[in-house]
Parts: sequence; structure tokens; C-alpha cells
Amino acid sequence: MDETVAEYIRRTVLKIPRDEIKTMLEKWGFLSETQLQTVNFHQIKENISLEVVQLCEENSADIKQAAVLDIIYNHTYPNKRMWSVYQMNKRGEEMEVFDLTDFKKKFKRRLRSALKNVTINFREYEDNAIWIRIAWGTPYTKPNQYKTSYAVYHSQTPYVFISASVLKSNLPLLCQALVVASNYRDICEMELRSHSLNSLKDIVFKRYSQNFQTYCPRPLQESNVAPESADPRIVQESRNEKERIQRVNREVFGDGPQPKLEFAQYKV
Amino acid sequence: GVFAHLEMLEAQAHKAAVKQEEREQREEKLARLKARVQELRVQRDELQAKVDLQQKGQLGKEGVVSDPAQPSPRAVLEWKIKSVKATLQIFYLTGISGKLTKRGVCFCISTAYEGTYLDSYYLDLLTKPEEVQIHRHSIPIFIPLEQIATKYLQTDIRRFLAVLSDHLNAYAGRRYQADQLQEHFSDQIEGTLQRNSLCNLLVFNYNVSKKSKTFPFNARLLYGDLCCSLPTEVVVSCTPDAPTSLTATAAAHSDAFRRVALHKAFRSFGSAEENVD
Repeated sequence: MDETVAEYIRRTVLKIPRDEIKTMLEKWGFLSETQLQTVNFHQIKENISLEVVQLCEENSADIKQAAVLDIIYNHTYPNKRMWSVYQMNKRGEEMEVFDLTDFKKKFKRRLRSALKNVTINFREYEDNAIWIRIAWGTPYTKPNQYKTSYAVYHSQTPYVFISASVLKSNLPLLCQALVVASNYRDICEMELRSHSLNSLKDIVFKRYSQNFQTYCPRPLQESNVAPESADPRIVQESRNEKERIQRVNREVFGDGPQPKLEFAQYKV
Repeated sequence: GVFAHLEMLEAQAHKAAVKQEEREQREEKLARLKARVQELRVQRDELQAKVDLQQKGQLGKEGVVSDPAQPSPRAVLEWKIKSVKATLQIFYLTGISGKLTKRGVCFCISTAYEGTYLDSYYLDLLTKPEEVQIHRHSIPIFIPLEQIATKYLQTDIRRFLAVLSDHLNAYAGRRYQADQLQEHFSDQIEGTLQRNSLCNLLVFNYNVSKKSKTFPFNARLLYGDLCCSLPTEVVVSCTPDAPTSLTATAAAHSDAFRRVALHKAFRSFGSAEENVD
């Protein structure tokens, strides 16, 4: 097994909280049940990671499998990265038949034609999310597995969630490959950024439970509005304003968990 | 060994018996409901006859209509509420219902597939004098709502709702079939089903027996019509190392996929396999 691959796997395992290591390795599926049983997951992480690398050595892991482990890690902890939302525009009224195999082929071909030294990996999830991991190299150097970009794309939607790495110069390449692979015309960045990938998805896909007027209303859950201050002697200033904000929030976003607002920027 | 074979036969018999029982229960329930419908129809006809008679001023004839005492306002109100609730229930069951709002109408499109109720989707419309606007909605982003709205919303709102309802129902039906396949036949499919958001292209390798480790068939189902929950193009092929005897089966499967729901087709393969055993 390549030393760089071994080191990469070791460092990836070290990132995982100790209690989650076993579950994540099981999700990975590269090491067998019997192999996992030989590892003591209660020792310090340093030792766990070394034992895991040893087992990967037995199975001759290559960079492809190591990349999959990285995708699983990022999918479990997406909030460690900063995500931006990009919107694509369609050519015309063509009917969308999205073929996953076709998408992957076109994406790889487009990216590799511009830059040969890239590692590209895909992983699909049940909610039709396609996670794409790209490790960037240069025309003269091998891909740097520690400088990765991630793109999350839900088929037949015009939105892509991109977490670029430090190498911002590769962003146009990535965008181009996405547009070509998904049969769109162009792509532009939206004014929407966050660490919380799920919040971005909620906003863009309107996944929050909106309150629609209907004759068959769903039973409303008891809204857990805890009193702001337990001491009744403290008078709520601008209580009306707070109630109004809460009511508008509820009307637009519903009773479910609200998208997380990290920062707001006003452009004049 | 012999015992293992006997156990397997016993298990098969048990499964078949359970299925038979479920089928009988369903048929029983259906018969009961049909009888109830008949009952209600008879009742309705009787009441209709009474109403007709009353309208013709036939009161006073003995035994035709017992002139009820003037119903109390409360009774009238209760009857009105009951009647309205029943009408709303009927509308809900037809799949498209609406409620007037301060500035327009809020429509609810309910989806179903072969007797199973699925998700409901909402559309909050603003009816302005110059145009109808979509204020908010919960239609999934991959449904071509904008295209449909551009074509019909301003000119023919009924058609707009009908076309949108067709898209949503077909999508819900396709997704339901794919989910059912994944849920009930996962051991006959290699890995997970390859699909997309609209569930209009499904690709998978499969076999017909649950025990086999190989998946000699490859299926590619294309649903070219977004308003349809059956595929428009089906290609079932055999993997290169599969026996040639399977080519005929592949053709039969291809035909089945075109005609019946995906999970039902699989169920029919399974029972055919059991019969062969």
C-alpha cells in the first residue's frame, strides 16, 4: 500500500471522534466485520488509527477507497466546511432524463481534459444527493489529497452546493464540468453561504414546513416557546416586535426547525 | 438435506397461506364497501324521491312523507356542517381541493397510486385583476412548475391544475414503485437501485430468485412521459456470462415492466419462479 495513502487514512481516522470511528468504518465497508472486531476502539485515537492502517494494508487499500472514507466523513460532518450555493440555468424546455452513469462520465472527462492530475470520486445517497470529491494537482504534480473540493448535486435541480478548497483558481474548472455533465447552459454563484449545508438545502429546496391554509389542517405541535425570562418583574421591552418576528418566521418557515442564519450581508 | 428441503417447503406454504389470507381479507373488505355503496345509493334514491314528491306539492298524501316538524335552527346548522364536511372530504379524495384566502386561493393537490395515498402538495395563488401569481408552494423543485405555469396559469387555470396534478401523481407513483422495489426485493437487486430525483430513469441488475449471488439481468427503465407512471422504454438484457436460456425470460420481463407496476412485476417473477420449483 502506498505510504501516502496509509498516511492519508491515518489522518482521516484521527479526525473522527473516537466514539464514531467504528460506525464510520462500518459504513465504509472496506474492512470486514472480523477485521473490525480485532480493533480495540477504547484505546487512544493514535493507536486506533495505527491499527486501522495496518488492516487497510492487509486489504491493499488504494487512494480510491481512502477517498470514499473521506467522503463519508464529510457527509457525516458537513458543518466543518463552508458551503456556497450555485445556480445553473437551463438551455430550453428539454425533458430532463438524468442518467447518473452519463453524468459521472461527462464530469470526469471534462475535468480531466483540462487538468490531468485530479482524483475524482462519487458517492450517491438516498435523498438523490450526489457527493463529488475532487483532489487537485497541477500539470506537474500529483493530486494533493489534503486540498479537496466538494460538490453536492441533486439530480434534475438547478442548484449545486460547493465547498471549494484553498485553491480558488480551480473553481471555474469545477463549475464548467458540472454544467457540462448536468446538461445546463451556465452557472453562477448565489448570495448564499453557510457552514450548515442542511440549512442551505432547506432554503433552496423549500424543505421547511410552510403553513398553507387548508381545510384539513395538520395538527399543530405545541410550540415550545419558553418564556424569555423567568422573573416576572423584568418587563419585556419591544415584546410586540419579538412576537411579530416570531409570527412572520412561523408563517414563512413553519413550525419545523428553522434554517440557521450565520451572517447577513446587505448590498446597497 | 431432506429436512432442510421440508423446512423450506413448509415456509413457502406458510407464506402462501399468509398471502392468501391477506388477499381474502382485502376481497372481503372490498365486498363490504361495495355493499355499503349500494346501501347508500338506495338511501339516496329514496331521499331524492321524497324531495321530488315534496317539490311537486304532494304533501298531505298519507304515508308518502311524514311532514316533519319545523327543524330547529341548531339541527339545520348541524346538517349544513355535516354536508359541507362531506363535500370537502369528497374534494380531498378527488385529489384537488382549494380554500379561498384573503388574496386568492390555496390549492392542495393530493397524490395517490393504486389505492395508496401519498404526499400532498400545496400552491398558494394570488388572484390579481391582471394576472394570477404563484405566491408560495411546496412543489418539489424538479417538477417543471414554471413551464406548466407559463403555458396554462393565466389562460386556463383548470388545465394548469390538471396538468400539474398529473405530473405530481405520476412522480409520486414512480417514486412509490421504486421505493417498494427497494424495500421488498432488495435481496434480488445488486446494490441499490440507480435512480434520479424525478424517478424517471431506473437502472439496476437483478435476478429472480432470492438465494442467488449473481444478477444475470440488467434492466433500464426510461419514463419518457413525465405524466405517466409506467415506463415508455424498457431494455432488459442479460450479462455476457449468463446462460442463453435467459434471453427469452428477459424479453418476457421487459414486457411485464411495460405493462404493470414495477414491484408487481417483480412479485409475478417470484411466483413464476416458485411454480417452477
